[in-house]
Amino acid sequence: MTLAFYALLFVIVAPVFGGLLAGADRIVTARMQSRVGPPLLQPFYDVGKLFQKQSRLLNPIQEPLLLGHVVMMAATGAMMVSGTDLILVTFVFALASLLLVLAAGSAYSPYSFAGAERELIVLLASEPFFILMMAAICKVTDASTFGAVLASPTWVAFQLPGILIAFLMVATIKLRKSPFDISTSHHAHQELVSGLTSDMSGRLLAYVELAHWYESALLCGFAVLLFNWSIPLGIGAFLVAYAAEVLVDNVTSRAKWQLVLRSTWVATLLFAGGNVLALFVVGR
Amino acid sequence: MSSLISFLIAFPLLIGTLLLFTWWPKVRNLIVVASCVAVAAVSIATVIQFGNGNGVFFGLPGGVEPGAALIVSEIAMTAFVVAISIYNRRFFAPVLALIQLGIALYLELAGKLPEADPQRLFWFDRLSMVMVLVVGIIGPLICINAIGYMRDYHRSSPMVKGRRNVFFSLLFIFLAGMFGLVASNYLPMMLVFWEVTTLCSFLLIGYSRTDETIGYAFRALNMNLIGGVGFSVAIALLAEQPNGLDLAMLTSGPVSGVLLLAVALLALAGITKSAQMPFSSWLLGAMYAPSPTSALLHSSTMVKAGVFLLLRLSPAMAGSSVGYLVAFVGLLTFLFVSLVAGTEENLKKVLAYSTIGSLGLIGGCAGIGTPELVWAGVMIIIFHAMAKGLLFLTVGTLENRLYTKNIENFDALLSLMPRVSVLMLVGIAGMFIAPFGIVIAKWAAIRAFLAVPGIAGAALVTIMAFGSSLTIFYWGKLLIKIMSARRQSDYERSIERRISWYEWLSEAPLAIGVIAATLLIGPLSDNVVGPWATAAFSAAPRTFLTMDPAALLIMMAAVVFLPAVAYWSWRHPNYDHADFYASGRSTNNAHVMGMALGGIHRVSLRGYYLSGVLDGTLVFNAGTLACAATLLAMVTAGVVAR
Repeated sequence: MTLAFYALLFVIVAPVFGGLLAGADRIVTARMQSRVGPPLLQPFYDVGKLFQKQSRLLNPIQEPLLLGHVVMMAATGAMMVSGTDLILVTFVFALASLLLVLAAGSAYSPYSFAGAERELIVLLASEPFFILMMAAICKVTDASTFGAVLASPTWVAFQLPGILIAFLMVATIKLRKSPFDISTSHHAHQELVSGLTSDMSGRLLAYVELAHWYESALLCGFAVLLFNWSIPLGIGAFLVAYAAEVLVDNVTSRAKWQLVLRSTWVATLLFAGGNVLALFVVGR
Repeated sequence: MSSLISFLIAFPLLIGTLLLFTWWPKVRNLIVVASCVAVAAVSIATVIQFGNGNGVFFGLPGGVEPGAALIVSEIAMTAFVVAISIYNRRFFAPVLALIQLGIALYLELAGKLPEADPQRLFWFDRLSMVMVLVVGIIGPLICINAIGYMRDYHRSSPMVKGRRNVFFSLLFIFLAGMFGLVASNYLPMMLVFWEVTTLCSFLLIGYSRTDETIGYAFRALNMNLIGGVGFSVAIALLAEQPNGLDLAMLTSGPVSGVLLLAVALLALAGITKSAQMPFSSWLLGAMYAPSPTSALLHSSTMVKAGVFLLLRLSPAMAGSSVGYLVAFVGLLTFLFVSLVAGTEENLKKVLAYSTIGSLGLIGGCAGIGTPELVWAGVMIIIFHAMAKGLLFLTVGTLENRLYTKNIENFDALLSLMPRVSVLMLVGIAGMFIAPFGIVIAKWAAIRAFLAVPGIAGAALVTIMAFGSSLTIFYWGKLLIKIMSARRQSDYERSIERRISWYEWLSEAPLAIGVIAATLLIGPLSDNVVGPWATAAFSAAPRTFLTMDPAALLIMMAAVVFLPAVAYWSWRHPNYDHADFYASGRSTNNAHVMGMALGGIHRVSLRGYYLSGVLDGTLVFNAGTLACAATLLAMVTAGVVAR
């Protein structure tokens, strides 16, 4: 019963958290560029407006795929907090991300398709890390669910320094920040126009935004797993990391997909893989 | 039991012989369909009579002893291999075949072969039951599909001499060999069936008799004969051990000494047959055969025989160095072929790499050998057989309609061939989204590998992390292509109507089977696969599907989701097809784009391939080398243990 309550809580609170985070992101970014920026609640206004606009469909399959994307993203988070096996959560997470790729790719227009293929690349780049991270968390705490990891006396972050470093890198991908934002762009004048959302409009775009809010909250949940001894500390750490991501976003330019894939995999192998190796060799 | 199993072996053999001399297509089609129904019915009857109980042992009806029949069939097969090899001027295969025959003759003539217990020739347990269903239902469906496929195949390849009587004859003999193999307990008898499948696949791969396919056929023969030699040497070693040739007794628990060496050699045979590295290239070469051959080799026969043997051996090698090394061969294969699959444009090859990867996962599960892992292994066998069988059959259908196997040519498949697309989506969802297929096995494997101590455990987990991410990449690319849409001309819309009923009636049941099995995963696990896994390891009964019901439900929904939305979008009445954005160029919904200086151009979009970051050939060779070294270490470990 309490687990179902946590699931419901995530479904309701996560988009609020994600939307506020997006609003804060836009203000901080604007200040870094000597602009004032929009109000904090602007993302909510935007999504509300998008829902009222007409949607142009290149392929009718896009809409159910995007709805599936939102539902799966929310379900991933809900499953995580309500006690689903953490390794399984990463698989559902990947499936949720895949639905966005399919929705964009099925539009089959030059920019959407390029965005979809690149999103698939970043999915490939980030997925090994998430599996390794969850495996490592399960290994050090000897637990397999969110609640059990939080209840564990082991302080996860201290045993997983390599995972923490790699997390910063991979989170850049999931938060769609430069230099790893190869699949989307917020600025229509760039080489990709707006990537995988190029041919989405109206409520289709609103679904994408909503799912992204859930995704941010989910990542925050992952950070809480790493700082398992205190939930506020985990959220705080995530916010600090997010601020750092915004800074990096503003000072770097987009990398080529080959570089993104190579560098992420190398980092995953070195830091996360090395960390896992140490865990297994030293043992618990 | 005894008479039913004997029927399942003898009947397809008889039909195979009959079909060899049936030159009239209509009569042949009738015989094929009727026999397929009979084989499927008897398979089900066998399972019903077995009643899902514990393992039973039995002999031939009336207590008949195989006697000289085994050695006679070995001599016949060897003579055939020698003759056909010399005719084609290949000399490696006859050497291997003669070595095998030499060992068999030596054991027979020197009286080294202990008397077989006539009541323990066959061993039928839940694993055999699963295999009989896989062979006995999916196999016949593929045979029926082949009627439609081969007609189109010979129309589009007029250079190939029609020998369809031989083709269908081989399909049935293949099934007979598989039935014998999965029910054998007496190893020398199993070897005979093992060689029957080797020979049938050799002949099926070389069906078109071009220089290219003959080369691939001999590659398959050579590699599988290497495994056969390993099998023979294992028999020679086991012949001197008490009850050594009794598979059930050999695999009742961990073994050591000479037995471990024999198990390592048997595992080598399993690895060659399931096309794991360094023996993967034979299955890739098999792609050039007609598609039903691929479907048969990949889904219900041949490679499944290899992993079947590995799963059988699992309790014997669990915890030993041999077991670990078998697991490493499997998982390294999984990782390397998944990397190569990301560089490949030929859909049949991608499917082949995916098969090899799945088999590698099963090998990894069998090598480490815990009840949870072999449970996952059997689950993969079941779902992979259905999903991959379906995929190969649908790709065969596409190939005969679109004259291509290249993923890049499958643009807008959903609007071009909606029904085939939906079937393919069921297959793909079954392969990698479903809670069965690969996902559940990946999950169970990672969970189990977390408990493996030391560097081995860390390596296994890391390999799993990277390998399983790669599967998302290559399936995702294919999904994008299939799900895209564009307005079709009337001609394009007519293509799908020319697919034969033989194809629809074989592909649709497989698709329904995939979905049904997904929904029934709970009972399947609790009543069949779970009890088998605990019995094989003499472990305490437990629940294997410990997955959260919510997670299970979501993943089940996901399997149905993609095909369902695809079906929905195809039947969508108000299909708007808005024009796409192309920086202000004029575009239209048939994906035609106006060019800057006039003229129009049809948009053609190419996916990203991992060839942008790595060299597929290099990776494949590296994997082959790494696995060859691991394999060498495995046999050495066996020799040292002796």
